[in-house]
Amino acid sequence: MEIEIISFGKIAEFLQNQELQLEGIVDTEQLREHLENKFPRLSSMKYKLAVNKKLVQVNTLINNNDSVAIMPPFSGG
Amino acid sequence: MSEKKIKNIFVNGPISSAFIAESIAKHSTKTAIGGHSIFMGQVRADEIEGKTVSAIEYTTFEDAALEKMHEIREEIFEKYPLNCMHVHHSLGNIKNGEICLFVFTSSAHRKPAIDACTEIVERLKAELPIWGKEIFEDNTHQWKENK
Repeated sequence: MEIEIISFGKIAEFLQNQELQLEGIVDTEQLREHLENKFPRLSSMKYKLAVNKKLVQVNTLINNNDSVAIMPPFSGG
Repeated sequence: MSEKKIKNIFVNGPISSAFIAESIAKHSTKTAIGGHSIFMGQVRADEIEGKTVSAIEYTTFEDAALEKMHEIREEIFEKYPLNCMHVHHSLGNIKNGEICLFVFTSSAHRKPAIDACTEIVERLKAELPIWGKEIFEDNTHQWKENK
């Protein structure tokens, strides 16, 4: 399947928005592992995922054409 | 989620004192209000390893931030007897000394306005996907972390 990756803040400095082909990955736990292998700088950082704009709080299934946001800790205000 | 329209809290650039004054003035016709509470966030010229922060550049995941702010707004209105709630947050480059956040709550008596204002600021900082890049005078930068 194919998903869209969008990144923000300091993560956007090394991880561009892109389409990603996934094989055998069905949920956000597996996606985290895949992303950290593909983009090693991620593994030492704190980040949260959002699937289709919804913050991931428990392991969530991923579907074809989902949009996954990779977000470092928030620092608004 | 209710069907109320999602409000846009974002403004490009700093929040001017004229905008804030105007916002206060608009409430003079709302005579059920007896107390206003206002919080303003200002960009601080922090000194980090000998370099001074000259500006913060704010970016957001806008759709997600506005949906979350809508949720917070609904919850705050349920929790406190407020007459009004206004939230404005800057995007883009905000120089030190300029205002980047304006939260304004009003109620019949002071307590709900004060408590709601505080809670909105705390939740906004913790829950909205907004990022601040601290830019130093020599154009290097580091990413802000909320305390």
